[in-house]
Formats: sequence, structure tokens, C-alpha cells
Amino acid sequence: MKQSLIIIYLAAAILLIIGFLIGGSQMVVAGLNISINTAYRSFLMLLASFIIIGQLNVLLTAEVIEKWLQKFSGIKAIVVSALAGGLFPGGPYIYYPFVASFKEKKLPFYILTSFLFGKYIYDFSRIPLEASLVSPNIAFIRYLITFPIPIIVGLIVLRFFKDTPSYDYNLKAGEKDGSNNYNS
Amino acid sequence: MAQTTIILSIVAVILIVINGKLNGRQYEGIKLGLNQFIRTIPIILGAFILAGIIEVMIPRDFVQNWLSKEAGLKGIVLGSFGGMLLAMGPYAFFPIVSTLMVSGAGLGTLISIITGWSLLSLSKAPFEIGFFGVEFTIKKTIYSIPLSLIAGFIAYIIELLVFT
Repeated sequence: MKQSLIIIYLAAAILLIIGFLIGGSQMVVAGLNISINTAYRSFLMLLASFIIIGQLNVLLTAEVIEKWLQKFSGIKAIVVSALAGGLFPGGPYIYYPFVASFKEKKLPFYILTSFLFGKYIYDFSRIPLEASLVSPNIAFIRYLITFPIPIIVGLIVLRFFKDTPSYDYNLKAGEKDGSNNYNS
Repeated sequence: MAQTTIILSIVAVILIVINGKLNGRQYEGIKLGLNQFIRTIPIILGAFILAGIIEVMIPRDFVQNWLSKEAGLKGIVLGSFGGMLLAMGPYAFFPIVSTLMVSGAGLGTLISIITGWSLLSLSKAPFEIGFFGVEFTIKKTIYSIPLSLIAGFIAYIIELLVFT
């Protein structure tokens, strides 16, 4: 988060300087006015959004999602894991280690990919932010259009890489893993 | 905007009630959300400053020629790769998308930029390489590019058919 903060403020500072050089203080003030107005108008929406995010975090724990993933196989598993990916709370420090643990849980590769793409595309905890900071209509259309992506990716992997267990991508050529029978 | 705030507040209240009934952890959820909000405020404010200055600086001709509905496929391609390069979190990313929308970017461009960022953002690469290896990351990126372009193209068609 510290890194993102530095990048954003650095980029803002550079653009403010460029803005000043192009349009003088008038342009900078106009830009800052827009920022202040947006911040003022968005405050309550953001507050509500973060309360939703907090509630989702305590409602959908990693244990709950893990249970769902181990119940299904085939196409059902793809749909469930894509949705579970979307519902899985937390940032990359939380979900990457969770997905990497699929190896120990002996979950197949297509579940891993649909879960990961579900997280990337759906990430339901992002809806409040997308709706409040961009527009509810754009968020709705975007979800509608991209909804099939994690399922399509899961189906492609199921069709063409069916026998690839979740650990395979991490092995180097010639390296062998002791485990087998990874189909759920 | 007031409508969105009301809807989000209703959803928040519903989730608080559900958590209260199911696990009694509703206060923990509120505390968690508020803590995250407070920690994120500096990033959000930085993003608002960035978005504000982009909005006044971005040349109308550039939006018209490269990002608007009239830009067609150019906007979709630029959106997908632009989303890939915007290696930042949602709090910083969405205000920038909002700025592009206000400036006149087309639906195809907006959807491809959000999809490109969701699937391809370079900020994910260090984690993917670390956990799944270089090969997985490269393959995922290559396979994801057409998905982002297709999403943008579908949005472009919807804009032509429905919003014109």
C-alpha cells in the first residue's frame, strides 16, 4: 500500500507541475476543485462501500469457501469456484497464498484457474467501489459482459488440460511431485 | 449519486443483519470496514487529485480520436493495454476510469480498460510469478488479451445498438 501511495502522489505531483506549466495556476486550481468536489460527493458512498466490504470479510471466510470448492467437480465445480473466487475477500496477500494452497488440497487445475479468474473478474467486494466511483450502469454492463469469462476459461482448461493437477505449473522440467490422483 | 449511496447503505444494513443472525460478528465487520476505509483514505485522496488534474489536462481531441465511441477499435485496444499498464489498486484505478468517462470515452473503451486492468494489470505479475511461476503468468497474459478485447468489442456493439 505504501508503494501505491508513493506512485499515486508522485504521478499527481508530476501532473500538477505539467498542468501548471501548460495552463498556469488556473488549470491546477480547476483540477483540485474537481478533486475536492468528487471527494465531498463520494464520502458517504465510500463509507457505505467499506462497511459492505467489512461485512463480506466476516461473512465469507476462507474456511467457508474451501468447503464449497471441495464439494463439486466438473462444470458445477467451475461455476462454484468462479463464484467463490468472486466472493473471496481480501487482497493479493490473502488470495494468492490461498490459491497456491490448492496443491495441498488436491484440487484440479481447472478449479484453480476458474477461481483465479473469478477473483479477477467478479471480485464482488469491488462492486460498491466500481458503482460509486465510476457509475452503477457501467458496473452493471461490465459485469454482464464479463460474467462468462471465468467460466469459459475454466471450461477451456477442463477440456484441454483436464489431467493437469494444480501443482503442475510450478514444477520445472523433469521435476516430479510425489502426489497423484488429483481429480475431485 | 444519492441513489447509489442509498442502495449501498441498504446493502450494508442487510449484510449487518445477516452477520448478526448468522455469526454475531457484525460489529467486527463494521470495525474491519472502517479500519480499511481509514487506512485507504490517503490513497483515495491521492487518486482524486490525480483524476481531477487528468480531467482538466486531457485534450478533448485525444479523447475524441482515441477513446470515444467514434474511435472504435482503437479505443478498445488502447483501453485493454492501458488497463494493463495501470498497475494500481481499485481505489486509485476507478477514479481515473471515472475521469475518462466524464471526458467522453466510449463504452467499449471503458469496459476494455476495466477488463484489461482486472485480468492483465501488471501489479498482479509479481504475485503470479512468485506463486505460480513465469510460464503460468505469460500464458495467462497471452490468453487474457483477447478476452479483454472481446469484452470491449461487445460493449462497443451494445453502445452502437442500444445507446445510439
